[in-house]
Amino acid sequence: MSDQPAKIGDNWPNLIGKRLPRVDAVEKVNGDAKYAGDFNLTGQLWMKILRSPYPHAKIISIDASKALEMPGVKAVVTAEDFNGWSWGWGPTTRDETPLADEKVRYFAEAVAAVAAEDEETAEEACALINVVYEELPGIFDAEEAMRDGAPQVHDYVDNNISWDFHMDYGDVEEGFAEADFVREDRFETGRTLTGFLEPPAAVAQIDSSGITIYAAKQSPYFIYRQLASCFKLPLSKVRVIQPYVGGGFGGTKNDSTAGDFCAVMLAKKTKRPVKFVYNMEEVLTTCRRRHNMIVDCKMGMKKDGSITAVQTKVIADGGAFTAIGPLTMYLTGIMTTLPYKLDHYKHDAYRVFTNHPVSAAMRGHGVTHTRFAAEIQMEKMADELGIDPVEVRMKNAIEAPHETINGITVDTCGLKEGLEIVSSSSAWKDKDQNKKDGPVVRGIGISGTSHLGGARQRGHQSCAAIVRLCEDGTVNYLTGASDAGQGSDTVLVQLVAEELGLTMEDVTIQRVDTAVTPVDNGSYGSRVTILAGQAAQKAAQEVKRQLAEAAANIWEVDAGKILFNDRTVFVDGDPDKSMSFKKLTQIACYSETGAVIMGKGFSEYGLEKMDFEKGYGNPGVNYSFTSQLSAVDVDIETGMVKVKDFLIAHDCGRPLHPVNVEAQTQGAASQGLGQALYEDFKMREGRTMNSTMVNYMMPLSTEHPDFELHDIITDDPHGPFGAKEASEGSIISTPPSIVSAIHDATGIWFTKLPVTPEKIVLALKEKKENS
Amino acid sequence: MVVFYRRMPRFEYLKPQRFEDVLELLQNSTPNRYRVFAGGTDLMDQLKQRKINVPETVIDLKGITELDFINFDKSSGLRIGALTTVADVAKSPEIEEHYPALAQGAREIASIQIQNRATITGNICNAVSSADSAPPLLALGAEVVCANRNGERTIKIEDFFSGPGQTVLNPNELVKEITLPPPVDNSDSVYLKLAPRGRMDLAWIGVAVWAQISERIFNNVRIGLGAAAPTPIRTPNAEEALCGLDVVSENIEAAAAIASGEASPRENSFRAGSEYRHMMVEVLVKRVLTQLAG
Repeated sequence: MSDQPAKIGDNWPNLIGKRLPRVDAVEKVNGDAKYAGDFNLTGQLWMKILRSPYPHAKIISIDASKALEMPGVKAVVTAEDFNGWSWGWGPTTRDETPLADEKVRYFAEAVAAVAAEDEETAEEACALINVVYEELPGIFDAEEAMRDGAPQVHDYVDNNISWDFHMDYGDVEEGFAEADFVREDRFETGRTLTGFLEPPAAVAQIDSSGITIYAAKQSPYFIYRQLASCFKLPLSKVRVIQPYVGGGFGGTKNDSTAGDFCAVMLAKKTKRPVKFVYNMEEVLTTCRRRHNMIVDCKMGMKKDGSITAVQTKVIADGGAFTAIGPLTMYLTGIMTTLPYKLDHYKHDAYRVFTNHPVSAAMRGHGVTHTRFAAEIQMEKMADELGIDPVEVRMKNAIEAPHETINGITVDTCGLKEGLEIVSSSSAWKDKDQNKKDGPVVRGIGISGTSHLGGARQRGHQSCAAIVRLCEDGTVNYLTGASDAGQGSDTVLVQLVAEELGLTMEDVTIQRVDTAVTPVDNGSYGSRVTILAGQAAQKAAQEVKRQLAEAAANIWEVDAGKILFNDRTVFVDGDPDKSMSFKKLTQIACYSETGAVIMGKGFSEYGLEKMDFEKGYGNPGVNYSFTSQLSAVDVDIETGMVKVKDFLIAHDCGRPLHPVNVEAQTQGAASQGLGQALYEDFKMREGRTMNSTMVNYMMPLSTEHPDFELHDIITDDPHGPFGAKEASEGSIISTPPSIVSAIHDATGIWFTKLPVTPEKIVLALKEKKENS
Repeated sequence: MVVFYRRMPRFEYLKPQRFEDVLELLQNSTPNRYRVFAGGTDLMDQLKQRKINVPETVIDLKGITELDFINFDKSSGLRIGALTTVADVAKSPEIEEHYPALAQGAREIASIQIQNRATITGNICNAVSSADSAPPLLALGAEVVCANRNGERTIKIEDFFSGPGQTVLNPNELVKEITLPPPVDNSDSVYLKLAPRGRMDLAWIGVAVWAQISERIFNNVRIGLGAAAPTPIRTPNAEEALCGLDVVSENIEAAAAIASGEASPRENSFRAGSEYRHMMVEVLVKRVLTQLAG
């Protein structure tokens, strides 16, 4: 690949693949790292949001006069202030207003906001705003919402269908006819929290220079566009400054929140900066969450285990607004053709409005649902045909190069190698000896899954970078990419430093400031390392080219012979001709009229055509493959499950920063563990019953097993240094492997997540009664 | 109206040094005038979230150091002062030796930080059915010594809880100490908590049993259940059924089934359904009794 730097010396690459400290480690450990809630502007007011006590109601009137009379209260905003402006994913689905307009569509939707001299006053003033509602019948079940006569959440669609998506490749009827065995099962994937620990927060101001907002965002250019549109300002007058971010995982921190719009509007009204911080209960009650999906999956299989056809029908609870939902439905369909060979595939997906909080993107976006269903169904069918779980996967696993029936092209694939690693482990080979005989039973399960990296959907998707050489030989690196905690800042600095033959300390990354850094679509779909990484490489190469020209002039050689390594510049094959990087920089910057050396670069991966509506073509730049073994201990009397071991063999192309890759893989598996066993929003008439971190049970450190990770190096041609994604794969592989392990322990296939102790005990009781 | 509060409501704060001064204040109180707290681990959260009416004044009891004690005497039993922390109970060698279920219950209450702050008395005064200290206190035959300005009265722990979050304490009354009877020969006690994430979760079911066993016969048994009914409860039928019987698994299983029948868990809890909780009472009572049977 011409994009890759020339190999220099035996130790090359110097930085890529090394276990280096993260560039943000010191700041985060010593407390220098400032998060959105740490920012305070002179003269700032505090904001509090008043929210709806009903999941579905008409707003008859809002009277804020008493609140405005309260000492310390400076302003109140309601929907009226936003003049009917609405926002959302596409031109036809901009159905969400900053504050509820005319009616509220989910419990605790924002209705008004107060700005006051301090937070206590703002909170107290909310209680003085008199809102008169007329309660409407709510709809809380996606299937019921699709029926004629169900309460309508929005008037602009029929039967509450927010978005539907249909794919039809090959001929599924022919595929089912070829099969020896066809199964139909229903799966349900659960309602989960994205799980960041830093709640949404921002401090905003607006004056003649435009908007400036310090906001906790993983994709700051979303809010940049949304604020410009809402406040009718040119983009050049919207400045989003990115503090350190305490986790994102999709959804809420990609989008704007009611808080962001209201803070700017209140700043406009009061001519003072306005700050807010959500609390965790507010996050659990009102923020974006993962779609609960009902997946009806039909699969055809031959006696030898080969899959002949898959048909899925998905009904997703979309909640009250569209948000990014159409993309979720696209991904939940398009990715089912990986990682197993499939000639016939049909998919019908419906995203349905309900009076629930809004469903949106989350790590493993869309893919977790249908992959869980197909993975479990495949193994269930193999089980009934007497085929081993490894064998059925090896039988169907794709090999690179591969093109799916819907036009996804895979150039590297480590799935079979991964399955070999997990199945040659002693945990797998000795699983029958290690079973134990009650009440605690050991079970082992496996999975083999895939995820996209370098997400590309429609519209703007490339990344850019600017590398500014300082005259002392250090580097300022500007990127629009955001590190929400995943460690991308470190990887991007590695790439710049590697290209220029510098050390990590020589390169300083600037966090996003939309007035300064290049526009970027954000941190989602595992796109940063691949796309922002390529842009960083290219920008650094541009700096290197300019420096090489200066060096070539000095030594009177061809610029192509100039090499950069270990803070030194030298002529290839002529070691006498060398100088420090710093010295060359000074010569280049100070000679004659002096040069200002800057490089810019754009990503170019993944630009080929795709058909979003039909689900044809590549949804990503390249594809990771994850094989996983999970060992569980199931107490068959209490149903309590403890996961004992995770063995994860993943093909992320090449781990550029192994510590980050390990942490990401573990973290995603941890979230998968939560989804499989513990986490579930308990809803009652639109209200979230478990809206605290005590009652919404994420797995704690004590619930985590030992992790064993294996890297499968495949060096993908479409990623910097061969990299693919490494932060979402294991959230997809974990739930099916755990459910498979619980089956191994109990003999029961569970199809609804999470698999709670209660479900296990009651299923075992039923099994006993029926036998 | 829904507001997700981050700030404490406004209230006055008092921190008296003497128990009698608090009783004096409470004597002339009016509704919503005072709320007392010891560790504050329940009250502060309830106040912040406006889950309870905000009183004019909260009274911090931590200044009353005279009530921070654990006294053990072989002949008269155990006394735990109202200000004694969960951590102190969890770490007490005498409690570990003579009342092990109580030490085990204390160790099952939330995090180390909460244990350091919270008190056993506060745990029972908050009166949630899942309180981890309640089943051990029930099984161990605890009594609650309450006081008002005019005097003291002693209430059996099984009579102390009057409903979810409610006790029989009068508005002018405070708990002064909890007493446990002196240890009995050949007796032992065990507490088991069922919760998916251990001590960080509220108990789905908590079971404590105290049993006196001699010559492989259950001489005397007391069973305390948490999260199995609107309040922590004893299971008198199961206890009675076991007394005088041989220590064998059939008898244990039969008693566990009776105990399950004495439970009356909430029908509509989001944590765990009623059928499951009934089943878990049976499993846990069986496990605790089996453990005590040795």
